[in-house]
Amino acid sequence: MENLLWINSKRRTKAILYVVAIIAVLWVLAPFVWAINNSFKTLEATFSTGAVIPFLNFQPTLDSWKEVLGNPNALSSMLNSAVVALGTTLLVLILGTPAAYSLARYEFVIGSKDIALWFLSQRVLPPVVVLVPFYVLMVKLRLLDSWTGLILAYSTFNLAFCVVIMRDIFRDVSKEVEEAARIEGANLWQIFWMIALPLSLDGLIVTAVIVFSFSWNEALFASALTSQDAATLPSFILASRSTRGVDFNVAAVNTILAIAPPVIMSFFVQRYLARGLSFGAVKG
Amino acid sequence: MERLEKAGIRSERAFKYAMLAPAVLWVVGFTFFPIFSAINYSFANYVLGRGITRYVGLQNYINVLSDGGFWYSLFITLIFVVVSVPIEVALGFLLAWMITVGPPGKGLFRAIFIAPLFTMEVAIGYLGVTMFTSQGGMVATLLSWIGLEVPWMATASGGLAAAILLDIWQWTPFVFLMALAALAAIPNDIYDAATLEASNHWQVLWHVGLPLAWPVMTVAILLRLIEGLKTFGLPFALTSGGPGTSTQLFSIKDYLTTIQFFDFGRGSAMGILYLIMVSVVITVFFQQMRKRLE
Repeated sequence: MENLLWINSKRRTKAILYVVAIIAVLWVLAPFVWAINNSFKTLEATFSTGAVIPFLNFQPTLDSWKEVLGNPNALSSMLNSAVVALGTTLLVLILGTPAAYSLARYEFVIGSKDIALWFLSQRVLPPVVVLVPFYVLMVKLRLLDSWTGLILAYSTFNLAFCVVIMRDIFRDVSKEVEEAARIEGANLWQIFWMIALPLSLDGLIVTAVIVFSFSWNEALFASALTSQDAATLPSFILASRSTRGVDFNVAAVNTILAIAPPVIMSFFVQRYLARGLSFGAVKG
Repeated sequence: MERLEKAGIRSERAFKYAMLAPAVLWVVGFTFFPIFSAINYSFANYVLGRGITRYVGLQNYINVLSDGGFWYSLFITLIFVVVSVPIEVALGFLLAWMITVGPPGKGLFRAIFIAPLFTMEVAIGYLGVTMFTSQGGMVATLLSWIGLEVPWMATASGGLAAAILLDIWQWTPFVFLMALAALAAIPNDIYDAATLEASNHWQVLWHVGLPLAWPVMTVAILLRLIEGLKTFGLPFALTSGGPGTSTQLFSIKDYLTTIQFFDFGRGSAMGILYLIMVSVVITVFFQQMRKRLE
């Protein structure tokens, strides 16, 4: 938007804004560049302050990538993370979307807004408060160190997101379309499944990406509830930090593998992101 | 006809409850049960493998409240939040303002600025070790060019400062995104009119942009406070709570009490006390949300 305010601004103001923008870009990109650069160095090269530009200052190598990708623990933690995050996303959508639709369309004895807010309470609780009960529950159900255990825990914390965001998005679906379908003879489930849901696909995808990312990134329950078999990436990273210290090159590869999936996904869902992350409080 | 309508209403009732019930039952089961059970454990002596051996009344609470480490962890958490959140809010708003009024290339800037948002906290903390370490770390190297030597990882304040800087890196984009949505919702005419009235750019920011975006910023601030009070992964991966126990934020302290020392009674008591303390922020948040959701 080339607006009046920008056109009327003094040259000095524009210069300040440009400088701030450039600094901000460098600041945001620096850790990524640092990680990518280090991931192509040998361990020796990471100690050398002169090794800055690949090919010019140091010979890039895939050794660290081969080392990490050849480590069975790293691979299994990635698999575990993927399974747990996808499983959580699926379960949350299955449980949350119908509830959200119901709250968007119908009134209840208690107001549907208050029910939606009540769902939010789980997301707002500091999770460490319920660490002990979840741990004991998983011991009793023999789900310690299992995919199912983590999926149950994560679904609980993320259900609120789905219910509140999707309720907000379903409210935007026009009632006339649903009314028309009804006159055509569609039943209530068909209206939900074949009309409201496809019309809310954008919102559904954003919800899925947010839930996937939060589950993929979660560390507290991951390290408390898993030890070996179901250890996800955060617990793998914490474990390798404490057992083998920090080799810059290996740390860099681990970091890139850990952050890439959610970051890449987030690029594709910029619409509705503000709305989703603010539980619908921001219409953007 | 009337009978048909009645059947319709009845099936509608069945439908809406059937759709809502699974999620409600899930939350009751997995949120209420754990909280009541945490309260229960907080009055008990729990031995792993044997369960609750006996109830000890308020002993766990007395132990926690008389433990200097508990108060210290609260203090550190408070500093962490009080320093990082205002900086994130100021920077996030400024960047959003810049993109809204500013130069072409909006989409690209936006895409770059939100990249840190979904990064894994633990991974960023782990990468942070390599950035802040004094032997060849990126930050240390850059600072050495201007003759500065900061012992980031060797001291409590250095470790905390490093964690705060990384937190700002990660979460400023969140505020940025909220502010961007708020500023975009202000009609162009208002900016144009204000431009003609005001004597310079910054007046428009201060007297038009900020006040009109403020309701949204309030929600952003509250959400940042709530998330900040939960902070665990980033500082834990960065400093492991060290040197010593000097950067143990509350969540780290409670986690270690529970999972490393298996002192479930004490861990639960700490959690309940914390919940009571942060409930003020949570209550304000709910009031704001109630106003904003239709």
